[in-house]
Amino acid sequence: MPADSDPARQFPFPSREELADLRLLHLADTALPIGSLAHSFGLESLVASGILDVNSLFGFLRGYLEEAGAMEAVFCRAAFHLTVDSSRSFAVERWLELNIRLSALRPARESRAGSAALGRNFLTTVLALGERPVLREALDAARRPPAAAIHHSLAFGLASGALGFDENRAVIAYLHQSAANLVSACQRLLPLGQTDAARILWNLKPVMIETAARSAAGDPESVSCFMPLLDWGAMEHPALPTRLFVS
Amino acid sequence: MSSPAAAKHAQPQIIAAPPRVEASLALDFARDATTGRTVLSASIQEPPLRVVRAFALDDGSALAHLHNVSGGLLGGDRLSLAVNVGAGASVQLTTTGATRIYRRRESAPPTTQTNAIRVGENALLEYVPDAIIPYAAARFAQWTRIDLAAGAGLFWWEVIAPGREASGEVFAYESVEMRTDVTANGRLIAAENIRLDPRGSALRSIARLGEYRYWATFYMCRVGLDATAWHAAEEHLREAARELTQPGQALWGVSTLLADGLIVRGLAVRGRDALGGLHALWNAAKLRLYGRAAVPPRKVH
Repeated sequence: MPADSDPARQFPFPSREELADLRLLHLADTALPIGSLAHSFGLESLVASGILDVNSLFGFLRGYLEEAGAMEAVFCRAAFHLTVDSSRSFAVERWLELNIRLSALRPARESRAGSAALGRNFLTTVLALGERPVLREALDAARRPPAAAIHHSLAFGLASGALGFDENRAVIAYLHQSAANLVSACQRLLPLGQTDAARILWNLKPVMIETAARSAAGDPESVSCFMPLLDWGAMEHPALPTRLFVS
Repeated sequence: MSSPAAAKHAQPQIIAAPPRVEASLALDFARDATTGRTVLSASIQEPPLRVVRAFALDDGSALAHLHNVSGGLLGGDRLSLAVNVGAGASVQLTTTGATRIYRRRESAPPTTQTNAIRVGENALLEYVPDAIIPYAAARFAQWTRIDLAAGAGLFWWEVIAPGREASGEVFAYESVEMRTDVTANGRLIAAENIRLDPRGSALRSIARLGEYRYWATFYMCRVGLDATAWHAAEEHLREAARELTQPGQALWGVSTLLADGLIVRGLAVRGRDALGGLHALWNAAKLRLYGRAAVPPRKVH
């Protein structure tokens, strides 16, 4: 089936806002085929070592959103802003710089590679749904030697800007899919039933909104993230004797 | 009855708040082409920062102890350290003791430290300090930039203690911020921005420190080794890290950086496990990357 670049032109409805909302829901769905369900980003080691269990999961995820979530949200916004100023050409150098900085901020190799795999897959998938020159340029620039990673949060922010999504909704949606992916991973790692998993994700929504709001004042050069236990888990992951996840 | 002037004279002197210190320490090290030894070739030293002398180590390196003769850092102090290790030189820097960040007066700004480090071609810098101890109500911010040239090597660690544990101060400080950028041949290979805010965020959450109190980060670099070599070094150091790991006491993890190095993460309940683990991993990495053992500072002997 051919990519449908702008169905809003073909039908009198839905409105552009409604279409943007539906597209955002689609791209933030954990079922989007970019491989996100293959990564635990260190959670698997924390579970294997007995540090993380069902009882501590909600508190862990709240802290995750406050630290890693906040950092990713700041980068997501920074990429979003690269697309909104139509008076300038796409700032390729800044795009690459943001991706390199986020790579440098991720200490664990597997998590860094995982985020990069998701970002590249995400951008490729969005381009398969409809051609966008900015996204094509972003993908091509990262492929040129020396090849740079494309991180998921940055790809999500860039695509959200290019597709005309509302900035805050895009950041909240990014945080939501991040948390949903981790909850999903924990359903495979822990005795966590569907209802309890749904409740955890439900109760985390205010934290996502608060984190997204705080990220509006952040900047990629100074945003902080302090998750040493998860860093340890992600670094230890390659040595686990049995692994369900890539990271 | 004494005169007003005399009375004024007789009044006990009001002890003014200690002045805020703005001080720099700049150290240039160079390799003596004749002897092959590294010497401290130039320095600018502003009190309270001081380096008395550089000691010669058996392997030709220079060892310098960073002193803060005031005993610690006060609120509002602004210190800067600039280290330039010339091409082919080899330097070990350590502290004479823990870096104490004293309680801050309510009106005082944070204590800040800026580090600007350059390691020249085929030079080596080993920065192996004692822990940073933030006292109750302390606010500390540190910015570090490390630039590595082609072939340069780096062993650089930082340890943050929870406070003056013996006085019952555990996570009683206000905030600790540390920002570090490491570049190799001008390319960013590692960045770290952390903010520890015990009042605003639960440090004991398993998303952060969990049951551990000490946090350590350790960069091990040698510019120019390829990705395959680093991957093998990561596996080698991971084995060493796993031998040191004792769940509930200390955790050690290792990973490759974007390029040209490894990073170690350490968490420990006790300070001696944090520093002991760092020394053990330093030795293992030095053997792996340079084929010789690490030489612990004399204070450790």
